[in-house]
This record gives sequence, structure tokens and C-alpha cells, in this order.
Amino acid sequence: MAEKDTKSLKSILQKPVKLECKDLYEYLKTRSADVLERLYDYPTICLAVYRELPEIARQFVIRILFVEQPVPQAVIASWSSQIYVKEHTAATAILGDLGVWRSAAIPGGLPAWELSATFKRNLKIALLGGGRPWTMVNVLDTDSKARDIAFLDNYAMSRWRCVLHYMVGGATKGPDGETISPDAVRILLNANLMKRDENDGGPVITRQGFQFLLLDTQAQVWHFMLQYLDTCEQRGMSLPECLSMMFQLSFSTLGRDYSSEGLSNTLLSFLQHLREFGLVYQRKRKAGRFYPTRLALNITNKNSVAISDDDTQHDKGHIVVETNYRVYAYTDSSLQVALLGLFTELLYRFPNLVVGVLTRDSVRQALRGGITADQIISYLEQHAHPNMLLHEHSIKSKSPLPPTVVDQIKLWENERNRFTFTEGVAYNQFLSQSDFITLRDYAQSINVLIWQNERNRTMVVTKNGHDDVKKFWKRYQKGGS
Amino acid sequence: MAEEDDGKEYRWETGYEKTWEAIKEDEDGLVDGAIADIIQKGKRKRQAQKKGHSRLGMMRHFYVIVDCSESMTIPDLKPTRIMCTTKLLEMFIEEFFDQNPISQLGVIAMKGKRAEKISEMAGSSRKHIKALSQMSKTQLTGEPSLQNGLELALQTLKMIPSHASREILIIMGSLTTCDPGDINTTIDTLKKEGVRCSVVSLSAEIRICRHLTVETYGLFSAVLDDSHFRDQLMQHIDPPPAAQTQENSLIKMGFPHNQSEETKEPALTMCMCHIDSNDEPSKLTAGGYQCPQCGSKYCELPVSCTSCNLTLVSAPHLARSYHHLFPVNHFREIPYTKQRELCYACQKTFTDLEKNVYQCDLCKQIFCIDCDIFIHDTLHICVGCTTIPMAAQNIHLREPIYKQNSQHSTQ
Amino acid sequence: METEARTVDNKEKECSLLVIVLDTNPSQQIIRRDSHHVTQILDSICAFSNAHLMQRPQNKLAVLDCHHHGTEFLYPTPGRPLDIRQVDGQYEVFTLVEKTIKQKLAQIISDAPKMSGPCESLLAGSIAMALSYITRLERNRPLGTRINARILVVTGSNECASQYMTYMNVFFTAQKQNIVLDVCALDKSLTLLQQGCDITGGQYLRLPQLEGLLQYLLWVFLPDPETRLKLVLPPPVKVDYRAACFCHRELIDIGYVCSVCFTVFKSPPPIAGKPKKKKVRQM
Repeated sequence: MAEKDTKSLKSILQKPVKLECKDLYEYLKTRSADVLERLYDYPTICLAVYRELPEIARQFVIRILFVEQPVPQAVIASWSSQIYVKEHTAATAILGDLGVWRSAAIPGGLPAWELSATFKRNLKIALLGGGRPWTMVNVLDTDSKARDIAFLDNYAMSRWRCVLHYMVGGATKGPDGETISPDAVRILLNANLMKRDENDGGPVITRQGFQFLLLDTQAQVWHFMLQYLDTCEQRGMSLPECLSMMFQLSFSTLGRDYSSEGLSNTLLSFLQHLREFGLVYQRKRKAGRFYPTRLALNITNKNSVAISDDDTQHDKGHIVVETNYRVYAYTDSSLQVALLGLFTELLYRFPNLVVGVLTRDSVRQALRGGITADQIISYLEQHAHPNMLLHEHSIKSKSPLPPTVVDQIKLWENERNRFTFTEGVAYNQFLSQSDFITLRDYAQSINVLIWQNERNRTMVVTKNGHDDVKKFWKRYQKGGS
Repeated sequence: MAEEDDGKEYRWETGYEKTWEAIKEDEDGLVDGAIADIIQKGKRKRQAQKKGHSRLGMMRHFYVIVDCSESMTIPDLKPTRIMCTTKLLEMFIEEFFDQNPISQLGVIAMKGKRAEKISEMAGSSRKHIKALSQMSKTQLTGEPSLQNGLELALQTLKMIPSHASREILIIMGSLTTCDPGDINTTIDTLKKEGVRCSVVSLSAEIRICRHLTVETYGLFSAVLDDSHFRDQLMQHIDPPPAAQTQENSLIKMGFPHNQSEETKEPALTMCMCHIDSNDEPSKLTAGGYQCPQCGSKYCELPVSCTSCNLTLVSAPHLARSYHHLFPVNHFREIPYTKQRELCYACQKTFTDLEKNVYQCDLCKQIFCIDCDIFIHDTLHICVGCTTIPMAAQNIHLREPIYKQNSQHSTQ
Repeated sequence: METEARTVDNKEKECSLLVIVLDTNPSQQIIRRDSHHVTQILDSICAFSNAHLMQRPQNKLAVLDCHHHGTEFLYPTPGRPLDIRQVDGQYEVFTLVEKTIKQKLAQIISDAPKMSGPCESLLAGSIAMALSYITRLERNRPLGTRINARILVVTGSNECASQYMTYMNVFFTAQKQNIVLDVCALDKSLTLLQQGCDITGGQYLRLPQLEGLLQYLLWVFLPDPETRLKLVLPPPVKVDYRAACFCHRELIDIGYVCSVCFTVFKSPPPIAGKPKKKKVRQM
């Protein structure tokens, strides 16, 4: 009889790698306490970190922000009601992880929490004022050629699309004849969004790359910037400096110019990179002033929606999905068409319109490529044509898409999840049927049997049960022989 | 013919009649502005109608009789007549209790030539809405019997003391009624008892229904589509003018308050409202409202005490009804000529798209159309009059004027 | 795990709108006692407003000022916002809020007509204005988003029974629109507004002392209603909903109510005839 570990099988059957999108918390959690302390030296980073905290944790911080001594842990525990004790523990853990507070002892030996002095000082500065102004706010005379918001939006999107086009079209040039710098290519390669082709060494898009393309722009920018920051130490840039610069931009006002006067050289080159990706607009390299664009604002917010009293124009969607699974996309962008082609079967193409249909095969192909049903649905939702949004009123569903289509895409995904993977050990090549049956019945009686086949005398038991079964088998063999 | 006498056109003939004549293209050849105008006028119409009531029957006892016969399966209202009716009735009941807190309502279904009580007369919306959703799931069979429905409602309404206003609203899908006797005698009794009957027909005008409403001073309407249906239902939210037979009297009411003293822990008690229900059994709790007469506890107000029959209310509930007595003055519609930059209430910046703005005669402040509707439909106070001290003094001095109702004096 | 991701997703599409109604009527006891209190209150309100904006980028703020001659918006002001540059380490948006509020209030106070004598603060009207503002934002919100609105009233005035009806209409409107009404009483306890908190499910707090106002505000009023469930906060006050009778103005347990005009009497008056002309019971 032979035992075989089925582990290797699992790695073959494993689902394709999913694109990992970290949020700020997950990103910072992996940094050392030392780095965190250096980061909290910037009010901007404190503000950004504060906003990323869970709701209760934010209340804790603001409650002890103005308290000078450490606060006993028991006191803080008494702030949240009993039913939500789980959330309370999670919040305390996160605050500890991020080094926002650390445990301290107060006279009497009670354990207490104390806010990190740097964090506390700088959060107070951000909230109430005081301290040095942020780096980019030197007074400027009014710009003679001030740029309006529409221009900035346009600029930002065209720059960003350039990056995306590059990913889809490889080395071919974008529609405006623009390419991206080798630096950006390096980041894409580094982030596993593209890889060197085995034949000619040119960069080609990876599976993660496709998933990346399906994200909304905000999430794309954030993911991209994180990858950028990972490489910035290699570039000889200081991470805290860059991160604080990025958050300063994210907290700036759209349509306003800021001064690049007094920025260090590393920051200036960082600014040039941001300019390339469209996060800031600068007329000339040495203009001395720059405009942050919408891409840079609220960078950590994955899908924030502007709720304002004046209706600002947003990116208009272009996709119409019908209940008969037809997808009409009013676009002439080859990027959009390529993305749509990932999960639809394209039928017709007109100068400004592409018609496709969602079929089981086309969706399954996308699923095989590692794209999830949720990603497909969220892509279609994000780009839904304004007229699709109008339908939302009549049927009280949250999504602008026809519910049948949404459900079907999810069902198609579930179809693929018919396998459940369990680690186990296989027993086979039993010498007699009775041996097999005895062992099988034993395994069944202690609830460790996963699968068995009487005809070819094979059974699989769970990994935990393996030892027991093995012992039993040895005893049985001894007793039997 | 009775319907010729009142000299009015039918509602569905007036409302949207020849709307195309009102639509005029603007300079750019667009009709958006004109259409917006028509919609605005429609919105304001309801509040304009509010005027003129003087003595109102604010304590209402209201029966809704719903046709549950086969004709309700017709899908001319989407998705079907019955589904549409249930949805709108749910909304109606919520709004009804919101605007008439110390009133009571009950629901009756007519099907298979019978009438059956879906929910008893009660003062809270939750029970009715639950009953309604159950009703819509039952099978719709046979023909309705108008007479049986009316008689069943009358049985309960007869017992109501005379100070309350008695009303019946019938939602009729069928074009026929199958009655055991002469319906005219029933109509006569209804008239004698001062029950106001209104009918909303989902199909067409039916003579007997029209006759019923004319005799009992109710309203008759046939609906055009679902939004018109809604408007027709919502007409019945505001209390009707008090009927001639209605007496003025003083009603004994209890004002429960939390009995527990500050110092001692309140005792755990069971509430009376859930004591009989199986799916939501009564729980021992400390809070609640106790009847000052017999001490039974209830979790919600207003309610009528099940053991001593005292009506239990809270002062705000009475106050909720005051706005029927002091309706906000109708605002004057004036063309927008850049008088002000902002709407006084919501701070909306007026743009050139604004055709008309609305001015309160008392405080002279200017409002946008949305605020005009919000103030009259929901808020029931003028934002200008209550924030400007001079105007506020006037409003507090205002007194309700009770004059004898003129509408029914012709009788 | 999927549901968890969903809820986070939905959170992003929500925005919490805080409307502060600040009573600056000079007739208030606390202001007459020491005019420095105004600055102190204002500073606390500014810091509190910014703390609210700091919670999440989507959060919105409006501040209304209820002065003795009328109600005006302090923030946001119509038209272009002030052009403000950072002067210190404070977040630009926060600086803007603080400057706008202070500048606008200074303008209101200097423009105010002279007061002939002490007069009441028309808080009910100011709340009505706040409700109209919230309703407009609610109307214009983008599809698929939600606005959780609440109103915080900060006042040291006494309440006046003459506004009873306005208050009740305002409370019920707020309840209907799912707007929470919070009240922070700086001086006397306010029974009417207390009822409003109870009806709308808001917090009522009477400040024991003016010192530490900011801490009280942050502690009790900063969490939005959803978070409040998770925190231990002052228990709801017992509100007395008894009616006062028209004849003796006493609070009664059992009364007689006119079926037409809802006037409450303690005992049936000798002639319960048709009321020709009657004054409505004011609280």
C-alpha cells in the first residue's frame, strides 16, 4: 500500500493569481516601527492615516488626542458597548499595528494606552494649526495662464490613458504618438503587471495586468503609486518624503496652483514622475508651479464619490448592457475595446460604437484568465451609460445593470467553483478488499475520510487524520498477521 | 343626472388635457423648459386645493375597501392592478398615520361576492402593512360585492362615537358588483350615518359608484396610470371637511408618561400590544408607556387601551395635527427677475433656468419651487416667517378661525 | 468575507452631513455674563467642525448662525470660496472653514441692527432652514449614494413656548426625513428640544460647565448615529410627553380633548358647546 501526498496536485489546480490590492493600512502594516515613526513626522501622513482607521478607532484617537497622560486600557474598553467587543478588539489591534498608540504603564501598574507623541503632535497641527506650513505652499503671484478644472481633468486622463494604452498595446505608440518613459515601464514590470516576453524580451501584459485594467481609475492610481513607492528607496528617494508629498497632493484643492519652490531634488524628480502619470500638471519643467489633478486627490479612496451641491461633470459612461446580454459601447478607444474583448464576444465594430455579446464562453474565458465576476460587473457598472443610470429609479436595484445579466455572470463564475480543495493523503494498492474495507470503515468512524473508491481500492483521508489511520493500520497489520 | 349637476369636468379630462398646446419651443428650439413648467404646475396643484377647508374632521375612522376579485389581475397597471394597489396603499397608510396621528384605519377585501376584514380598525401602520402584503399573495377570485363591503364597514363605523369623522375609501377594479340586496338602501343608511364614501376606480367610471360618492359627499375618480392613481389616493390624506352630522365634543384621553422615578430602577413589565401575538411575543422591558387610568403598558403611542378603552396619546401627536388648522399661506408665484440670488430656505443659487419663484406674503422672502413644495407638503411652516423676528411675531398671533362649514350647508 | 467587502464598499458611497445651528443671540445669559464666551464657543465649534471633516473625506459640513435678527449660513457661503493659502501646518480645507466662519460671523454681528431689549432666539426656524438645505442636497445627490444628515443645535438660550408649533413641525419633518437632531444645551435645560432629540433619536446633552466644551462635543456628538450604537454614550433622558391643559396650564395625565381643534382641558368645562373662537394650547 502506498501513501501519496496530494499537495502537489493542489498547486496545479490552484486558481490563477489574483491581483492584490492593498489599502493604506495593509501597506503601512508591513513597514517597521522605525519607518512609521519617521512617517508620522508629517502632518499630512498623520491625517491620511487617521482617515484610514476604522470608525471606532478614529473616535478613540480623537477622544484621547487632548489627554496628556496615558489612558488605562480598561477605561478605553469601557467606551464601547458589549455587543461590539469584536470591533473594539480589531480597532485596538490596528492602532497598535500602526504604532498610533502603544501600551504604557501608569502608576498603580494598570496597563494603559498612550498615543505616539509624534503622531499626536502632528495630527493636532493638521487639525488645529500651528507648526510649519506644508512644503508646497509658498506664496505665488497669480498665474497669468491659470488652468481650469476641465483642462486639468483632460490632461490627467490623457496622461493616464497613455500608461494604460502602453500596457495593452505593448511597445506600440499611443493614439497621441506619446510613449511612456523607461522608468514607468520598470514599475509596470516590477509590479508584475507586465512581463518580459520570452521570445523578444519586449514587455507584454500579464493576467494581473488585465485585472488591473478593469479596476477604476482611482484604484489603479493607488495601486500603481504603491508599486512606485516600493521602488523609490532603490532610486535613492526617501520614502517618508515621497509619501508625504503624495498625501499633500491628495489633500490639495483642485484647480489651484502650488509652488515647487524649495522642494528638494529628490522631490523635484518625484514631481516629474507624477507629472508623467498625470497626477500633476506643469507647463514647463522649470515652471516653479504646478497644478494637482483629480487623479492625485483623495488618492487612498478607492471609489469615492463626490457629493456636492453643484453638479460637477464626471467621466460619462459609455456602455449599455441589455437584458439580452448584448453590450453596446460608444467608444473609439482601442483600450476600451480591448478591455471589453476580455469578457465579451465582439460582434460589430463601427467608428464610434462596438457591439458585443456576453456569452458563457466569453465570460468563462475571462474567468479562466483570473478575472473575477465581480470585476467584470464592477467594470460594467462604472462605465454604464448615463441612460442606464436612469433605469435605476424604476427598478429598485442598486446596480444600473439588468439583474439577470449580473446574476448570470455570477452563476457562470460559480459553475467553475464546483471543486472544493481539501488537503489529504491517499491510500491505495491495498492487497485485499477486506483490508481496504476495514481501514475505510475506521477512517469513516473517526470522520476523517474524504473520498474512497471500492473498485480500485483507493481512499483519501484528511491530513489531520492521517496519523490516526496510519497507527490503526499498523496495529491492524500486526493483529492480522 | 347627478354627474352633470356639479358642472365640473372629470379630473382626467382637465389635468393633462391638450398639454401639447402649452408646450412652446424656446429660442433654441428646446421644449425642456415648457415641460418642466407643466410638471411644476402639477406639483403645486395639490397644495392649491388645500385651501378653503374650515372645520375639519381630524379624528378619522377610515376604512379602505379593496377589490380582490379576478379583475385585479389585469396587468394594465404595472405589474398587475393588485400589486400596484398594494404598493401604493402601503405608502398611503404610512402617510395617513403620519399626517393624522390619532386617527384609525382598517382594511376590507372584497372577493368571491363576499367581504372580509383584512385588518381591524387600529391606530398603527405596521399591522396594516403586514396584512396588506399577505392580502396581495392570496388568490384573486370571483366578483366583488360592493354592498357586502359597505355593510361590513358600516357595522364597525356605526359604533364609532359621533365626534369622529367616518370615511370609506373603495378601490374598485371590477366594472360590476354582485349584491345580495338593493344597494340603494345601503347607500341611504350610509348617508344617514354620515359616512363619507369615496371611490377610486381602476377601470372606468361606474354609475353606482358615482352615485354613492355624490350621495355621501365623497370623491369619485378613475385612474389614468399609476402616478395618477397615487395622486388620487393622496387626496385622501388630508382630513376632509367635517360632516354636518359630526358633533363637537370633548373626548377623554390619557397622556401616559414614564412612571419610573429618577431614583429607583424601573420594574420590568410586559406590554399589552404584543401580549396576544404569537410571532412577536411580549418581552419584559423597563421602558414603555403606562395608561394613567388602568396601568396597562404599551410600547407605542398612540394606541387605544385594550383594557379600559382610553385613547392614549402624547402631546406631540396632538401637535402633529395642528398644521391642518394652520396651513401655511399659499405662496405667490412671481416671474424670476433676479430679485434675489438665493432661495431663502435652501440657499440654492437661482439660475436663468428658473422661470418662477415663490414669495411668502407675510415675510416677503423668496423661495425656489422645490422649497415651496417642501414647505407646504412636509414642513408646514414658512422658513422665512419663523426665522425673522418681525414676521415670527405675526405668525404666533395668528389664530385659527372656526366658521361654520359652508360646503355642506346647501344640504 | 465577500459581504465584508461589500459593506466597506457601501460605506464609501455614504456621506455624513453635519449641520450645526449655532445660537449667537446676545440676549443669552452666558454671553451677557462674559462676552469672551462667544470666542470660546466659536473656537470649539470650529475645531469640532474640522474634526467632523477630518473623519472621512466625504463628510460635509454646514454651519448656520441664529442671531437675534435672523438666521444666516456661516459655512458654506454662496459664490466663490475665500482664496485662502496655508499659513501653518493646518490642512488647507480646515483653515478655509475656520476663516469663513469667523469672517462671516464678524460681518453678521457688525451688520446686525441694534437690539432694543432681550429677545428670543428663533431656533425652530433655523432648524427649519437647515432641513430645507439638507433636503436640497438630498434631492441633488448622485444616484447610488446616501447622505446621512444630522443637525446639532448649540445654544444657551431659554426656549420660548411661543415657538411650540414650529418646533413640533420641525421635529416631525426631521423624523420623517430620517434626520437626527442633537442638542447641546450650554446653560438651562431645554425640555422642548429634548423632546425633539427623543423623537428623532438624537443625543441631548446639558453642559455642566462651559470649560471643556470641545471635549464634550467630540465625545458625544462627533460619532455619527451608526457609530453611536457601538459606543457607550449618556443614556437617553426620560422625556415628559404629557400635555398641559388649556385652562390651568398644568401637566395632566387624563384630559378632555376637543374633537375639532384638539384643545386639552383638565376637566370637562360646564358648557361643552361648539367652540367659536379658541386659542390654541401652547405647550
